[in-house]
Amino acid sequence: MTGLFNMILYVALSVHIILMGVAFVHLWHGENAVDRLIGYDLLGTLTLAVLVLVSLIYRQSLYIDVALALAVLSFVGSVALAKYLADDKMF
Amino acid sequence: MQTVLFEILAAAAVITGTFFSVVGVLGFIRMPDVYTRLHATGKVGVFGVVFLLIAAVIETPLGWGKGLFLIFFLLVTGAVTAHAIASAAYHINIPMEGKGDAGRDSGDTPPPWEPRA
Repeated sequence: MTGLFNMILYVALSVHIILMGVAFVHLWHGENAVDRLIGYDLLGTLTLAVLVLVSLIYRQSLYIDVALALAVLSFVGSVALAKYLADDKMF
Repeated sequence: MQTVLFEILAAAAVITGTFFSVVGVLGFIRMPDVYTRLHATGKVGVFGVVFLLIAAVIETPLGWGKGLFLIFFLLVTGAVTAHAIASAAYHINIPMEGKGDAGRDSGDTPPPWEPRA
């Protein structure tokens, strides 16, 4: 049973990495700044998903701390960039 | 018996999370304009990762406190980020596809935007 679960985890990990590639390609060809900002936010979230999957694969909760830090920083980054786009000043 | 049950639950959560991530990124690729694209990426952030975290809370030893906090944090910040980006896009007059609301048909100039106080 555990082998099957590990196989599911590896499949999910590879799917997420492929999704990150697809999102990055679309981000690269983004038509305007907000589109790229959404791509940046999506890439942050997908990295978060990859980190959680790694913590699942290794059965260690260390990577959830990394995911927590990434979640906080990507949130602040997204909001600051959105405000910068709207008002041309960040804070 | 107990671990097998947990692993089945965790596997179901991982599969659901991956499904939502795929749907979210597909939406990010195919949606016509910025606002609907933002709607799609919100799903990845909220549903995709939260289901993976549910699996992580079930599976990883000693990690359930951090996992629950991260789930709560993601649910809160997902909405805030989406609102910030949407208001930024609206603020710099990015047109909406299709039949916008009465005040903002797609393509024509939006109403004048008075800067925030």
